[in-house]
Order: sequence, then C-alpha cells, then structure tokens
Amino acid sequence: MTETDREAPAGIIADIPLALSFDWRWKLAIAFAGALVLLLVFGMAQPVLFGIGVWGANVPYVWGFDLVNYVWWIGIANGASLFAAILVIRRHDLRTSINRFAEGVALFAVICAGIFPIMHLGRPWLFYWTFPYPATFEVWPQFRSTLTWDFWAISTHVIVTTLLWYTGLIPDLATLRDRSRSLRSKTVFGLFALGWRGSVRHWAYHQTAYRIVAALVLPLILIMQSTVAFEFATTLVPAWHDTRKPLHFVVTGIASGLATVLFIAIMLRRGLSLERYIDDEDIELMAKLLLAASLVIAIIYLEEAFTSVLSGPLAQETLLARLFDQFAGAYWAAILLIVVAPQVLWFERARSSLLVCALASASVLVGVWLDRFSIVIGGMQGDYLPSVSGTYLPTFPEWALLGGTLGLFAGFLLLFVRFLPVISMFETRHAEHGDGS
Amino acid sequence: MNKYDAYRTDFAALTGQQGPRLWRSLEELADTPEMRRFIEAEFPYINEARTDRRTFLRLMGASLAMAGLTACGDPTVAPLYSQPRGNWADALGQASTFASLLDLDGYGRGVLVETRNGRPVKIEGNPLHPASLGATDVFAQAELLSLYDPDRSQGAFYNGKDVDDRAAPRVLAEARAAFAPGGEGVRILTGPVTSPTLRALISAMQREYPAARAHEYSPIADDNSRAGAVLAFGRPVQAVHDFSRADVILTLGADPFGDMEGHVRHARDFADRRRAAHSGGMLPRLYAAESTPSLSGARADHRAVLRPAEIGFFARAVASRLGVVQDGPSDVHPMVETAAADLSRAGSNALVVVGREQPAALHALAYAINAALGASGTTSRYIEPLTAAETGHMASLAALAEDMAAGAVSQLLIIGGNPAYDAPADLDFADLIRRVPVSIHLGLYRDETAAAARWHLPRKHALESWGDGRAFEGTAGIRQPVATPLFDAFSDEEALALFLGADTHDGNDIVRTYWRDALGAADFEQSWTAILADGVVPNSAAPALDVSLQPDWDQQLPSEALPGLTVLFAPDPSVWDGRYANNGWLQELPRPLTKIVWDNAALIAPATAETLGLKTGDIASFNAGGRSLLAPIRLMPGHALETVTMPLGYGRRAAGRIGTGVGFNAYALRTSHAPWIATGVEVVRTGEAHALVTTQDHHGMEGRDIVRIVAPDQAVETPSTEPQPSFYPDYAYEGHAWGMTIDLDTCLGCNACVIACQAENNVPIVGRDEVARGREMHWLRIDRYHAGDVEDPDTYFQPVPCMHCEKAPCEVVCPVNATVHSSEGLNEMVYNRCIGTRTCSNNCPYKVRRFNWFDYSPPDPEPRNPDVSVRPRGVMEKCTYCVQRISAARIDAKLEGRRIGEELMTACQQACPTRAITFGDINDPASAVSRLKASPRNYALLGELDTRPRTTYLARVANPADPEGSG
Repeated sequence: MTETDREAPAGIIADIPLALSFDWRWKLAIAFAGALVLLLVFGMAQPVLFGIGVWGANVPYVWGFDLVNYVWWIGIANGASLFAAILVIRRHDLRTSINRFAEGVALFAVICAGIFPIMHLGRPWLFYWTFPYPATFEVWPQFRSTLTWDFWAISTHVIVTTLLWYTGLIPDLATLRDRSRSLRSKTVFGLFALGWRGSVRHWAYHQTAYRIVAALVLPLILIMQSTVAFEFATTLVPAWHDTRKPLHFVVTGIASGLATVLFIAIMLRRGLSLERYIDDEDIELMAKLLLAASLVIAIIYLEEAFTSVLSGPLAQETLLARLFDQFAGAYWAAILLIVVAPQVLWFERARSSLLVCALASASVLVGVWLDRFSIVIGGMQGDYLPSVSGTYLPTFPEWALLGGTLGLFAGFLLLFVRFLPVISMFETRHAEHGDGS
Repeated sequence: MNKYDAYRTDFAALTGQQGPRLWRSLEELADTPEMRRFIEAEFPYINEARTDRRTFLRLMGASLAMAGLTACGDPTVAPLYSQPRGNWADALGQASTFASLLDLDGYGRGVLVETRNGRPVKIEGNPLHPASLGATDVFAQAELLSLYDPDRSQGAFYNGKDVDDRAAPRVLAEARAAFAPGGEGVRILTGPVTSPTLRALISAMQREYPAARAHEYSPIADDNSRAGAVLAFGRPVQAVHDFSRADVILTLGADPFGDMEGHVRHARDFADRRRAAHSGGMLPRLYAAESTPSLSGARADHRAVLRPAEIGFFARAVASRLGVVQDGPSDVHPMVETAAADLSRAGSNALVVVGREQPAALHALAYAINAALGASGTTSRYIEPLTAAETGHMASLAALAEDMAAGAVSQLLIIGGNPAYDAPADLDFADLIRRVPVSIHLGLYRDETAAAARWHLPRKHALESWGDGRAFEGTAGIRQPVATPLFDAFSDEEALALFLGADTHDGNDIVRTYWRDALGAADFEQSWTAILADGVVPNSAAPALDVSLQPDWDQQLPSEALPGLTVLFAPDPSVWDGRYANNGWLQELPRPLTKIVWDNAALIAPATAETLGLKTGDIASFNAGGRSLLAPIRLMPGHALETVTMPLGYGRRAAGRIGTGVGFNAYALRTSHAPWIATGVEVVRTGEAHALVTTQDHHGMEGRDIVRIVAPDQAVETPSTEPQPSFYPDYAYEGHAWGMTIDLDTCLGCNACVIACQAENNVPIVGRDEVARGREMHWLRIDRYHAGDVEDPDTYFQPVPCMHCEKAPCEVVCPVNATVHSSEGLNEMVYNRCIGTRTCSNNCPYKVRRFNWFDYSPPDPEPRNPDVSVRPRGVMEKCTYCVQRISAARIDAKLEGRRIGEELMTACQQACPTRAITFGDINDPASAVSRLKASPRNYALLGELDTRPRTTYLARVANPADPEGSG
C-alpha cells in the first residue's frame, strides 16, 4: 500500500473498525437492538409454534402486518439502493459520504424485508417450495404467480445489493487489511479484499465493475419494486387492481429510502463525529432531495384520486372506503407525514438543523409505513360482495415482528459501523485529492 | 393483556375457574385420575401444548367417543340387527346405510344413516319418509355430532354422586317396589309422544296402575291449534297441510317452512309447486302476516308486519271479506284486500296457516276460513291427534306441577326432556322435582333436570336405540340403532319397561313385539325386514277425519293488552328449545336471519329500539310479573313495533362445555298461562353492552346485481354472455364437466346445506372468539340481504359455495400450484402442497376460501367422514363439490360400465329441503343441471369479472299480486 493510505482522511474512518474501544453509547445501542432482536425471535416463534392465527388476520383480511412490513422494508431497500446507484453512476460528490452506508442500509433493509415473505406463510418451514428446484414429483412453481416473481425479485435484490455494497468495499477492505495490527483481522480483511493491491489495472477494473453493478441496479430496482406492486395490482381486489400501483410503490419507496439514508447519516455524523465527511452541504442536499420526493408523492396521491374517479364505481367506492372508512386514519396520517410535514424543508434554517432534518426523515418513514398499511389493509375492505365484511386489528406478535426487524436493522447497522469502514475511504481520498468527480 | 392472551388460557384455568360450574361436570370428570390418564394416553401432547377452549372443541367428539369404542367390543351388547346390504361392507371399510328415524318434539323425520365400520358418519334424509322425502333439516344433520358428544351422560348418579354403572335396573325396580297400590303418586313425564310403542307401554302402565298418570310436555308444543280445533270442530283434531296443492297461502304468524312440524315436507311441496309453475302455470303466492321475521316471511310475496295482537284483527278482516264472519274490522292493513281476493280466487287451493303462538280463537277462525274456502280435504286435512296430551302440553305440565306442589307425587320418572330448565318460570319446576321423594331422570346429558332429580340415568341417543314414531301426517317410522351404544344407557322404552316391570326390557324386543301385534303375525319377519330397510311402515298415514264446524266456533279473540312491550317467545333456529345447546355445529351455524352465532339476542324493530334508546348489543332489562331478565338487543329489520322476540334455548347452566353459559334464558320470563306472548313487559336500559358475534354485518346489496329478481316468465338481464378474451387457452373437457345451479327462487335460507356440508366434509368448528375474528370455516355460507324499507324489507338468501370458476383467479396466483384445475373442471385444493400464502383467498372475489389459522382439525380421526382429508394448520381449504362423492360415483359407474348419472349428489344438494341445489355434468346436455343452466333465469354471480363460474344461480321470481286483481 502506498503512503497516501495512511493519510488523515482514511485515518479516522479506518480507526473506527480497527480500534477495539466500544464506547458506552454503542454498547447501549447494541444492547437495545439485541433486545429487539429477541423480540423478533419471539415474533417469529409464535406463528411457527401456534399458527398465524396469533395475528389479527382473517377472511377477507388475509394479510396483515406481514405484508405491510414487507412492502415497507423492501421500499426502503429499493430507495436506498437506487439512490446509491445513481450517485455512483453520476459520480456525484455526495457519494463519498453517503454511498457506503446507503448500500448497507439497502442490504440490511432487504434482509429485514426477506423475513416477512417466509414468516407470513401458513407453513413457513416449506417456503423453499417457491424455489424452482427439481423436486421428485416434478412440481414446479406456478410461474404465472406474482408470488413466484416475488421470489425472484427478492433473491435478485439480495444479490445485486450485496454486489454493489461489496464491490465498493473491496479497496477499503484492503486498506483495513494493511492497517490491521492483529493477524486475525489481517486474515479476515485480507480474505475479503480478494488480493487487492491497488494497481492501476485493479482500479480500472474496479471502477468499471462498480459502475456496471450500479447500472444494473437501476433497472432491476424499478423492476423489483414493480414486482412487489404486481403482487397487489394483478389481483382482483378492487382497491388494488390498478396499473398505477408500481409507480406508487417506486415513488414512495424512493422517498422512504432517502429518508432512511438521511436519518442514518445524521445519526452517524453525531454518533461517530464524522462532521468532516458528512458535512452540512451533504445534509442539505439530502434534505432537498427528500423535499422533492415528498412533492412527487403529493402528485402521486392526487393522481390516485384522479384515476379512481375515471375508473369504475367499485374503484371509487374502495378509495372512498380507504379515505373515510375504518382505516381512514392511516391514509390521512400518511399524507400528513409524507406530504405536509417535509414542507418545512423549504426553509434553509430547517435544512441546516440536524434535528429538523432527522424529524422530517422519520416522519416520512412512518408516513410511508402508514401508506403501506392503508394500501394493504385498507385495500382489503370493500370487496365485491357486500356480505363479506369484518375488520383487522394487529396483535402483539405482529408488533413484535415490526419492532424486531427494526432491532435487527439497527443491530446490523451498529455492527457495520463498528467493523467496517462506514464511509468510503478511497472515494474520500479521491475527493480530498480533488480528482474525484 | 392483549387479544392473544385470551387464547393462551391454560387447561386448569379453563376447566376450573372459568369453566361452567356444574355439580358434576365433565371438567370435573376430566380431573379424575382415570380421565386424566385416558386423555393423556389418547392425546400425549395435551400437557405439552396449551389446551384452551378451541382444543376442547376439537376434543369434543373425539375423546370420549374414542372411549366409547370399547363398547363395540363388549360381548354382552347385541350386534346391530338389520343391515340391509349385509355385513361385507364393513369388512371392506365401505359404507353401510341404515334407515332410521329422528324426532323433533315427538314428530319423526326419516333418515338414512351412513356408517363405516359400525360407526355413523353421515345422516341423510330418507326419500321414502313423508316428512323428509330425502331432505333433512339442520337438527337431523347435527344429531351426528350429538351422538359423539363427549359431554353426554355416561353413567348413573344419585344426588350428584356417581354410582355403579349398571345401577339403573335396580333403581327402577326399587322405585316400582315402592309403588302405592294402584300406582297412586306415580307420575311419568315425557316429551310429546307419537311413538306407538311408547304409547302402548304407557297405556299398559295405566291399565296396571290406574292411579298412575302420564304427562307430556314440550316447551314448543302446539297447544293452541289443538284448542282451536276443539273450538271449531268440537274435538281435538290435528291439521295436516298439503302445500303441494296450495296456490295461495296466508300465514298468520306461522312459519310452515321453518319451525312448524313437517316443515321439511312443506318446503319441498311449496318448492315443487313453484318449480312446476316455472315451466308454465300458476306460481303459488305466499302472504305472510307476522310479527317476527321468519323464513316463510322472507320467502313471501307479500308480507304484513303486525303486532301479535293485530294478527287476529287482520285475520278477522280477511275472514269478513271472505264472508266467514259478519263483523270484520276495516283498515287493518292494505294486504287484507289482496290476500282475501286471492284466497277467494284460489278457493279449495287456498290455505291459511296459523302459528303456534296465536290464541285458540284465531286457530278456530283459520279452520273456519279453510272450511269456507273448501280447502279442507285439498290443502288441509284433519287427523286424530298424534300426541297424547288432551288438554295441551302446558296444561299437562301445570297439572303435574300442582300435584307435585301438593305432595301427591311419590315417584316421578322424567323421560328425556329438561323441564327443570325449560318449564315456565312460574312453576318453579326444579324446586318441585326436589320435593318428590323418588325422582328419576333419564337423559342424554347431566343437565339441569338431572341436577334436580334424585337419580339420573343415562339415556341412549336416538341413533343407538330402538324405537318408532309418527311423522307429522301420521306415517309410522321405525328407529333402528345404527351404532352400538357408546355408553351403558337406556332408551325411553327400555327405561319405562324396567320401571313398570315388563317382561322384557330389551328395546329390540319391545319394538318388535309391539309391531308383531300391530301388523299381525303372518309373514311378520319378512315384512319387518322390509319395514326396517325402508324405515317406514307402509300405509300407516293417519286417515283424514270428517269434521264439521261447530255452530258456536266463533269466539272473541282475546284483546286485553297491558301497557308496555309485548314479548314473543320462539324456538331458536339453531338450538330449538335448548336441547341442542351443546352441539357445536348448531351453535356455530349462523342463525338464518340475524347471522348471529354462539348467542341469542332479543330481536326488536329499529324504530322501537330508537324510542327506547337502544342499539344492537345493548343489554336491556326486561321486567314482567315480578320477573326480570337481562338480554342483549339486536335490531331486526321487518320486526313488528313495540314487540320483542326472544329465542328460547339459551342461558343453559348445565348443557356441557359447548352450551353452558351461552346466551340468555328466555324461559325466565315465560309463564304457564301466557307461554308464547307476554304483554306488559317493561324494558329498561342497563347501559351495559354485549358483543354479539355475527358472520355478516352488512344488510344491503349496495345496488349491485348480486341476488337478481325477475318477474314470472322474464329472463335475467345478463350484461354479456360472451366470454371476454383471456391470456390463457380454454380447457377441453373430454369426459365430465361438473357444474351446479342454485335456485334462489326456491331457496329458503334454512341452513340445511351449510350443516350438511360441515358434516360431510369434516369442517371444524372454531368457537365464538375465532368467529368474532372472522375465521369461521364453513365451506358453504348463506348470504342474507335486505332490500327496501327497514320497517318491512325484502329478504333474500344466497348460498355461496366455491364457484369452481373456469378462469379461476385463485389458480394463477398460487406460487406452489396448490390449487389447480382438474380434468373435469373442478377447482381443486392440494392440501399437502399448500404453504399458506393466502393469496388465493385474496384473489377470490367470492371469498369462499377458508384458512386454518390454527390447528382446528381434530387431533385424532374422529368418527367422521373417512373419505375427506382432515386439514392441518396453515393450509387453505374450500368447497370441493364433494369430490369424494364424485370419486365414489365414478368407481361405482365404472364397475357397472356406465356413465355417472343423476345419482351423484353433493351433500348440500342432498340435504336441501326444496331441492334448490342441482349438481351434475354440464357436458351432458340432458342432465338436470344443463337444462337449468339453459333457463332464462340462469346467471353468474359477479359474471362481469369473467371468472366464468361453474356454480350459477337461478334468479328469484317475484310474484306479487296484480293490483288490478287479475291474479
């Protein structure tokens, strides 16, 4: 490794994973996340041991938090991936500070999302029957089913997001290898650095590979998010049977991904004293993007109302049911939190306040969750036959799954900031040397 | 404490603290070391897993029925007597079918019971029996579950303590030894008895012990019509209605298709006449004047909502238009004119039917109208009373109560029945029983009467015992046992024979002996075997009597009405008088009009409720005559104003684990002098509420074309009959292609199909809490809709099974191919392939799919249909068109080298009293279902979605009277 590797910019970032001092805040946070993971174990054990009757689901509300949470997490993953990929391709300045953990956020979110399609099954231990493996009876998955598509979407998502994250990580892993003081961490980092020596040829290949993966992410994310939307749009359920669903899901997904990245950026900046790397301009730019996403969602909501007016009477009834019936609160709260609250970011003073930015991004995150709730749960009311009615009320095991995946996500993130460079060192070096663009 | 905790209640808490407090309940039984050992041996995991009420529901019918199996191997129990098809079927595990008889308040309904390896698995109607014609009502279907009820009494006890299992003969003999000379003080109390054998035994008793008395009581007995006959004809005759000849029918508070004896047959005759008219002819027209919405009222072409007291005025007004009486009131109701004109036009094909709660004078008036119209002999005829009580059942019980109160009763044998629970409150019958020195109760359950009596002896279930009984029109049927008794118990005849010290106390001998004498000894064996195979005694229908109106028949209708509300008591469509309270199938069966499950509610008109400041679910206090009763309210569209209907049969204190504590006990307000209509009832709001669980909250059709109604000879307007384009190619059907039609014009909403489906397909019950969460499992549901004015709405029923769509939305969305299209067009569920994504249910516009949210299925093979898979937790299930019956029919047809014909019936189709459901091969243009699908009334539910359902509906035909009066 060259001397430049030991220069200051990489120093602080690399010191975090290499130093073994875990301060009390980190320990407290990981303990809290661990407790939530225990809750997740509880939430997963309940349906496995007793049946998914422990949830509030029923006929016609056959899906509950399982699908709400899944759609929410996958939206975050998609949003964060898309954002990171765009930054890589556009070689935007922001990528130096944001990319690494944005990719991490995407990966962790997709892991959290992936739990739900398995757990939501009546017999979760048989989830692998959706895989196209050569079974003895030669029963193949139903390829016309959007749930089969979903299997492909999630697995593609995991692979592509991992690739994007890992490809970006290789040069930094090499730096960590070179800086390691113990043999063990040298071996581990060395193994994953894939023999990176930092030659010009390596750099050339790396840049190409990184951009190719990033370019791959762009269409795949759109397709995958649309596939999730197809799970709803292709059904006969009047509130879901709607070609605009993919658009809605992609747009709200981007907002939730942006909001997560912004929220995590603020947390990292405060928690790891990375003011130098995640500076005020970065935060302000992110805040502007979030505001823009919020405005797009406003348009999407208006468009939804407008299209349903053009649709048949049943589509109008189901929208009215979502707006004014038993789950109306979720719809209006979603609008308040996604569309109205972020408008504060028009003001420069608000954008320069970390607290306001954190609150705004949290508001969008909660709002998008409520949007999912309103679509999934609110969409199942008002079926073709008025005799079919009922209600849905989430139960504690369902909340445990939501809280548990939040804990899992936080736990992954905490381990990530502890053991891996949370900001791309090589990109930072490029940036500080003024040759990155 | 969250919702989920509610079903983590542990075994001990449920059986001990929260469970019903019986003096000798099965919970306590479950706590004995023997029972514990037994349950642990049968269900090894019972202590590992949580055992809650739901598990109990599953154990019901499994645990103690299994214990009963030991009885099959008992060499002292005689083997089944008559097996028309021979024993080989059992050896091969094939079904044997026996004809038998089940009674409801004494009136027999012939059944065919299918057994496997000596155990009954399904009950069907006996096509040869006049009260069935092959169909059943809900109660006949549900008797199967009652047979296996683990809460049934399994041994004698004395003052609440268990005694030797075989104590009964000794107890009865000792009671006889203590008889006073002439039988002074000896009393027998039975339900209504139509059984010739039992009546012969009772007569024998009265010959031997002239001072002994036999009493009959049923809370649902039809005393008023008997009293009305005395007024009209001077003798207590019984009316038999023939709906097959009725063109115009007027019901006065009656429900001939719902709860009147012979209702299955009435419904069938009415439907047959409607069906005949669909291909030309006069559609029978039904007028209903009633206070409480009934099944017949829902089917009526014209309905008048009247307070109970107004029904009499209405009838008088009609009678005066017909010239039967001189002074009729005017301006009672606009329906008077049309109904009277129509009745008069129909003449001898008209029929007036009066409900059991109406006063005797109104019954007499109706007899007079029928006579004046010339209907006697055509649509109604009169026969000798089939049940004994000459003065009426209520009077019979009151006389007994008087004797008991006076200390004149020394030995009391209560056979069946549960008077400690269902006697009118003013008699305080339970207390009277305790005052009798020797009281013996023979009962299926250790119920309220068992608790009051000194001795309780277990009674055989109808499916385990010999007996006989008469249908509503007098035809005698033989009840032969179809299972060896699960417990050591006695039938009514056996117990009575023991009580009287008869020569034989073997049920088979008693019944045979009676019929050998009755039929004559010559070639008795041969004819007896034929009778057993048929289930009916040929030519035993009661002869029509020649009766004529008494000159002074016209009595003043009682008109005194106290201020306050009027309460009407009614048998419950699910638990009847309370005898079926412990039957899970019936408790979970949505009541036809209210869709309430696991509960009863005081039904009240919305307008009256508003004046009282009450809404559905509010608990009100009903006070009358110093008695008071707390009951939840349910607003009932089309109910008479200032009137409350209280279904009887709930609020049981000792029904068993299913029925104890369900609902409120309306008997608490009932008195012996006003058993049906209580006036002057004060209603007070309590401010408390009770959540009634229903399976359908919405009333309206939201303006959608769900139940379609056409005028006679009019075709249904189908938006488009052309199939729309589809991505996927059509299937070709080489052989059969199954399809179904459901005729909404003849469907009465009686629920027989729902419970038949449950029995046939091992559909589990899930309990009140699970239904409240929207998780009922019925494969076939009946949607009920109201249309029009809430004061007097039209009511429509629509049975909804799986539609077996040609372009099934469920099939394409299942990722693992667990729901697939069969080569004969069935939409099939592959249970062991299902992983439980529930997407299929989401995509089903009819929402007929049911999901096993928990392990609802019985843990061990219950004595239920062995041809139908029991579904595990986490899989989807739904109507299969009874695919097991199709397979069986296919095997039979192949063996005989022919195509499957019309003998193939689904369970719902077979049970339907009106034959509204038709199933068959739509590839065969000559099949009944193909012909019906060609009917101009045929339409697909939600046809606009182009799912191309195989199940289609035939539109209901509206047949209101022409305002011009031309008919």
